[in-house]
Amino acid sequence: MGRRERGMAIGSRVYHTIREALLVPKEIMVRHAADNPYLHRDFHAAMNGGIHYLRETFGLPAVRDYLRQFAHEYYSPLRARLLAGDLGALAQHTREIYAAEEAEAEVMLSENELTIRVPACPAVTHIRKLGQEPDEAFVETTRTVNEAICEGTPFVAELLAYDPETGASQQRFSRRAGR
Amino acid sequence: MISCTEFIPAYSELFKTLEKLGGVKAVEDFWDYLSAGYLSNLRDLVAQHGIRGCWLYWSHTLNEEAADFTMTLDEEKGEFTIDMHACPSKARLLAASHFEPYHDYCRHCDRLYRNILEPMGYDYEVDLSRCEEAACRLTIRRPAAAKAE
Repeated sequence: MGRRERGMAIGSRVYHTIREALLVPKEIMVRHAADNPYLHRDFHAAMNGGIHYLRETFGLPAVRDYLRQFAHEYYSPLRARLLAGDLGALAQHTREIYAAEEAEAEVMLSENELTIRVPACPAVTHIRKLGQEPDEAFVETTRTVNEAICEGTPFVAELLAYDPETGASQQRFSRRAGR
Repeated sequence: MISCTEFIPAYSELFKTLEKLGGVKAVEDFWDYLSAGYLSNLRDLVAQHGIRGCWLYWSHTLNEEAADFTMTLDEEKGEFTIDMHACPSKARLLAASHFEPYHDYCRHCDRLYRNILEPMGYDYEVDLSRCEEAACRLTIRRPAAAKAE
């Protein structure tokens, strides 16, 4: 690991020597991972930019293929639990990501069904806060990702409602007939 | 929804998708598109504050990303450096045993910021030799300082 700067702090500045403190206009900021929570909301805008670029350059099917591939690979531990019939794993995942985003989501779980009601999508909220427009395919980050998570498992995902203005949505995951 | 805490693996997967669709050029074209459309805040800060604009820009982003770093601004010398001891993005990718990261992930940082700063006359150097330890070093020098060396 790299070296750690040591010195004396005056206000927001850290100096190594008295001379430096008096003469040299040098500022040093030292941070460790534990100093801050991991929550860089601008990543939502970068995601939106990626979706927009991919759709404009390669078309909507490329967006869906990309998100499907991502969901299969990244959520493979979650998919394994769904495959074993554990719908609670998806409820837990949903609660965790909305808690991390400091956003509201109503998660209702029964034996064969999980319903999620999101009053305002934190991603869409932040994209709009930055003065940007969510891409018309941004909804696929919910619809395609949910469907791909469920592919090959006993469950099916449905996006029952979606408001592109706020990203408010109602999502349902239910057991496939005969599974 | 893909949470912003899950963005880095999604970003890495996007690079893989683009490379599959159009080779390395498609990935680089996307990085150039991001620079042009999404980094105007860095350009504006540097245009307004000079080398201090780098300090202002990365003070915000690196803290939100919970990075482990030492950032130094020497206005007299006209030099700004970031010693990234543990990049949170790369560290996440390295830690994910079930997920194969894009093979050239770290180069996007180089391309994105170089695209902004070099046309403004700044000297931009990045040492990516310790990428596999999630560490790197970035040095930016303002035009006069770059010429004096």
